[in-house]
Amino acid sequence: MPSFKYHQPKTLGEALEQLNTLELAVPFAGGTDLLSSIREGVCKPDHLVDLNNVPELNYIREEGGYIKIGATVTHNQLVASPLIKEKGYALHDAAINLGSLQIRNRGTIAGNLCNASPAADTAPPLLVLNAEVTISSQNDLRVIPLEDLFAGPKINSLEPNELVTEIRFPVPPSNSGSAFHRIGRRKAFTLSVVSAAAYLEMNHDIIEDIRVAFGSVAITPLRLPQLEELYKGKQLTDQTMVELGETVKAHVAPISDVRGTDEYRRDMCPVLMKKSLNKARERIR
Amino acid sequence: MEVNFELNGTHVNIETEPNQTLLDMLREEAGIKSVKKGCEQGECGACTILLDGLPVTSCLILAPQVEGKRITTIEGLEKNPLMIDLRDAFIENGAIQCGFCTPGMLISAYALLRDNPQPNEYEVKKGIEGNICRCTGYVKIIEAILDAAERIEPE
Repeated sequence: MPSFKYHQPKTLGEALEQLNTLELAVPFAGGTDLLSSIREGVCKPDHLVDLNNVPELNYIREEGGYIKIGATVTHNQLVASPLIKEKGYALHDAAINLGSLQIRNRGTIAGNLCNASPAADTAPPLLVLNAEVTISSQNDLRVIPLEDLFAGPKINSLEPNELVTEIRFPVPPSNSGSAFHRIGRRKAFTLSVVSAAAYLEMNHDIIEDIRVAFGSVAITPLRLPQLEELYKGKQLTDQTMVELGETVKAHVAPISDVRGTDEYRRDMCPVLMKKSLNKARERIR
Repeated sequence: MEVNFELNGTHVNIETEPNQTLLDMLREEAGIKSVKKGCEQGECGACTILLDGLPVTSCLILAPQVEGKRITTIEGLEKNPLMIDLRDAFIENGAIQCGFCTPGMLISAYALLRDNPQPNEYEVKKGIEGNICRCTGYVKIIEAILDAAERIEPE
């Protein structure tokens, strides 16, 4: 492995200072993707700033109408959280099948998002939950919609001295439910070939709010708010879902690669969307 | 640089470099050869160890990251009743062929049965999803873990 200097800050302030002052410094959390990138020479840091000893970045809590998740929360911490299962079930669905047990014990939510892979499994659920991302630097703090974190395939919109410190989403109302489904080349421990998350708020049979988002069908994880608008106030029937699914197929832009063809990915969008919508509806208490 | 941690119940103090993986430090510096070097990408699970009790792949952890932590490999579980049940069940069920995946597989199986002593078949599969075996086709490994679960003495 190429050499680098290793830093172990104990506080967020110390970490932000290091990211601000050290040349070619990269924040390091789970390491499940980053260490492979360093080995392959894709990422060439001079300094690694390890965030694992910063306790103030590790929490899941409900506060001020939001579910707030610290940057270094691991996927298995998400899986084990009753709060996530109750208020953001789609995120639970994504976390429980992400990577393997060993990867889920190390990989973090902010790492999964900041890698900005179009296939990042935590992205579609958080998109439909209207998630926002808190970004800190030594002298600044800003909150952006999750959509704006993704700048392109494997490209995030962070400045080199910035750090994602928190992911939050509004506590959903009790007449809502969410779900996430994916297809991989095999059942376990595999990247998603295509994925879909759905969020529903219902008044009996009438859709009060509907949100859908997809993974691996565009250069970034993709939500389609312009389509969602068309279905608010309508009945949720099989026909509605077929119609929406057909429109979705016209709005996604998947590529063909070793994991699947663009045609297959496009065709699976309505299938996974419908499964997630049905599951989301079932989960409304 | 120096890293201080607990290795199989003993406090150790090892000279390492920031770009050395925990896997390499365990094999090369500490002489723990049960931890196997397979893919070095966290895909195969042959280097699985327990870090503060949680199964993780040691190829994706840097040596200095274990400062102050507790590392357990199968060497440290030699006299552990659950590990003895697992070891016997693996041998008697023919769950070991070439043996390369076995230490990692045993660590994952140990963590599973420690937290869930009566798993169903699905839970066993989920417990070892991060461990690849190219010999057995997994059937005998799954049978062995379910068999070990039956051997556990009720508390």
